[in-house]
Amino acid sequence: MTAASSHTTAATADMHAELAARRRRARRGLVVTRVLIGVELALVALPLAVVAVWAFTDAWPWPDLWPQSLSLRGIEQALSGRQNMGWETLALSIGIAAACAVITTTVAALACRALCHFRWRGRSAFQFATILPFIIPSTVFAMGVQVVFLQVGLARTVPGVVLAHAVVALPYAIILMTDITQAAGTHREEAARTLGAGPWQMICHVIIPQLLPGIISSLSMCYIMSFSQYFLTLLVGGGRVQTFVLVLFPYLSGGDRTIACAYSLVFLAVTFAVFLIFELVLRRFGVREEGELYG
Amino acid sequence: MQVALEHIDLELGGKRILRDVSFAVEDGQFVSILGESGAGKSTTLKVIAGLVPQDAGRVLFDGACVDDVPTHRRNTAIVFQDIRLFPNMDVRQNVAFPCKMRKMPKAERLATADAMLEAVQLAGFGDRRTYELSGGQQQRVAVARALAAHPRALLLDEPFSGLDEQLRDEMRKLVSRLHAEFGMTSLMVTHDPDEALVMSDVIVYMSEGRVVQTGSPAELLLHPADDVVRAAFDNSSSIEGVVDDGCFTSGKLVVPAHDVPRGPAVLVRLAGRAPFVHALS
Amino acid sequence: MALPALLLLAVFVYGVGSGIIQGFGIMPFLDRTTFTLEYYEQALTRADLAGSIMFSLYFSLVSAGVAVVGGVALSALMTRARTGRVMRLFGIQVPITTMHAVVALAVICLFSGAGLFPRVLHAAGLAPDATWFPSVVGAPSGWGIIVVYAWKEIPFVAFMTITIMMNISSTLGEAARTLGAGSLRAFFGITLPLCRGAILRAFLVVFAFAFGSYEIPFLLEPTVPKALPVLAYIEFQDPDIINRCYAMALNGIMAGICTLLCVAYYAVLQRDRRGGRGEHDRRRKRQSASCRTGEETQ
Repeated sequence: MTAASSHTTAATADMHAELAARRRRARRGLVVTRVLIGVELALVALPLAVVAVWAFTDAWPWPDLWPQSLSLRGIEQALSGRQNMGWETLALSIGIAAACAVITTTVAALACRALCHFRWRGRSAFQFATILPFIIPSTVFAMGVQVVFLQVGLARTVPGVVLAHAVVALPYAIILMTDITQAAGTHREEAARTLGAGPWQMICHVIIPQLLPGIISSLSMCYIMSFSQYFLTLLVGGGRVQTFVLVLFPYLSGGDRTIACAYSLVFLAVTFAVFLIFELVLRRFGVREEGELYG
Repeated sequence: MQVALEHIDLELGGKRILRDVSFAVEDGQFVSILGESGAGKSTTLKVIAGLVPQDAGRVLFDGACVDDVPTHRRNTAIVFQDIRLFPNMDVRQNVAFPCKMRKMPKAERLATADAMLEAVQLAGFGDRRTYELSGGQQQRVAVARALAAHPRALLLDEPFSGLDEQLRDEMRKLVSRLHAEFGMTSLMVTHDPDEALVMSDVIVYMSEGRVVQTGSPAELLLHPADDVVRAAFDNSSSIEGVVDDGCFTSGKLVVPAHDVPRGPAVLVRLAGRAPFVHALS
Repeated sequence: MALPALLLLAVFVYGVGSGIIQGFGIMPFLDRTTFTLEYYEQALTRADLAGSIMFSLYFSLVSAGVAVVGGVALSALMTRARTGRVMRLFGIQVPITTMHAVVALAVICLFSGAGLFPRVLHAAGLAPDATWFPSVVGAPSGWGIIVVYAWKEIPFVAFMTITIMMNISSTLGEAARTLGAGSLRAFFGITLPLCRGAILRAFLVVFAFAFGSYEIPFLLEPTVPKALPVLAYIEFQDPDIINRCYAMALNGIMAGICTLLCVAYYAVLQRDRRGGRGEHDRRRKRQSASCRTGEETQ
């Protein structure tokens, strides 16, 4: 072996060592990223798990790390219909939330269309107005609108509650739908029109399908917002419109933690169930994700 | 720099994008990767740049495997089809970006940027915002930005497909000139057979994730290895050029034409016939 | 087309407006129509008002800050690891779906004097008994409130930023890397500045929400100082209806603070726009549009 070639071999070995080190570093970077995401997922799960365990707890004396005895007492009461609670309340809450979701999403879809595809006088003023409910706290709105609704007979009625919920959910729906409306543009509509699609056909076959991901996330967000709205429902509903949250809330600050957690668990189950339904619908229509396609 | 791909396999989202792709590019060559959309051409560029890691096979730069070298150290600048200028910077800052990444002093990198802008005939555009430029100008800025990196290989991903015909022609000439001037190895993805014929030293024809044929433009044109290659060059418009010393020449395309008189001529291709050269005088 | 939205917004403006004018002593339904600043004077000279404003501002700003830093970090991590849909569903959507008050309950279960966390400390030999750990309920530092908002809003901020971040990272971030920028450099130099608009917006939304909501402070705050919305609601509930003017004056102060912040946000946005920043979306669309058609963009 000549001196020159042994030198080259050493250089190659060096290079290989460097490459291996680099590979390890890169892999370590990705491992750290994954671990951090794992920590986040655990932190998300922890409080939910604690509530779930407490819901079935009968006795949990200090300083045990696990309940001494479990029981179904809390869940039974949460579903029994005592204390104004039961299937009727649940059905009413779901109905209000669903109505709010549909109304708000429809209104927001129209507003986004007007904002993205048309130029008109007052457009930027309107755009500013749509974020007003973000800026001004809903508690201020709730205390102010109560008197107004009393005067026009909307207070203590279900439509009044739905209307109030729709108002505060509107900016969220608009934010969720603006980007997709902008991205969808109007060129596919133009194409459909030249191919002979009438207004209704256009809505069913062109507009709604291309906005579907936005529509679904808006529906889901509005539903959740309405379903968990306490203060606004309390003031506008005036105690007459009893939703789930109104029944649940006093227990949160009250003494019996098992009951509070049991109600919370039922509440979580219902919201997650609805949320999952929305997700499945989204899958069903084969909505693709961005960032996964390579040219 | 010499670039070589050895038996590259790649699967993305359950779809096989690249199957056993191998080819080598000599230093200073201009190579076109030609094929229909979905043939895996752009993905091949991304594998070379290290943006997408391959499942199997090796990428070699000058004979050394670069699989473990991250994108930003490979020194292979891409000119993207969708341009991708940074909207938060002006034109000069965009072009100076790669120099900044290489820790070049400020005065020097701004000077480099202006030199590169001049090279793409955009001298004096340095202070503009990127969105004030036309599509063709933006694409030229993107080329200048890639050149400012002094890349060991310049990768062009369908760089002209967004431009209209006249601009395309200008851009082709510009890119050919810059390649001759800077002398770096260049790989261009294109689906336009004529573009590939006149601009390249070597054409790599890809179809359904495989390399079908690699060779000089004349080889692919006159001796296609497969029906897909033949079909790609059929039914295209005629190519203008000149005949001299028994050869038809247009750009880098050189085809034997012994019985054609000297002077301007066209290369005509018709389905079912071998391409032939026809004198224009 | 904008009409239905205008109607809803009119309800909002009318509702807020009628509240605000009550703050000036005008209650038409009680035949009181004289304008007076008396209630604002009373509210502003109230001994505990400054404390309340500071407390509300404090926990809202800290919550929004924590949420934005954490949320951007989360969304960057998920972008980098190309986290799949199911994981994102759990890590982002589940907290968004969970109601605030339930999170407060969970925080109480975890961090009250006899909660799970002190028990773990006890098991580790750190906490001698159930009274040793300072309970999260009524803590003067309001850290329980911040924990609840952090748990809820970090994923919310990630939700608001992850789409644009993934888009930028997969196009411009990629371009930066081919030009020699390392991943961190590409993130801080290109991706983050271009997400600024979305991040600012997320900050504003989280701040205004934390500043103006009733439930969480009500459940977790100390006796003194009280958060502004709680204070206003206590006055609102007073049997003497004239006292409402006083509550509305407090509401007016709250709305005023939020509006100020919003004006600041718009000022930043305008400055960015003149500086040519923060318009990434539109410009990128122009770029790709020009790439499709090759036409002059304006």
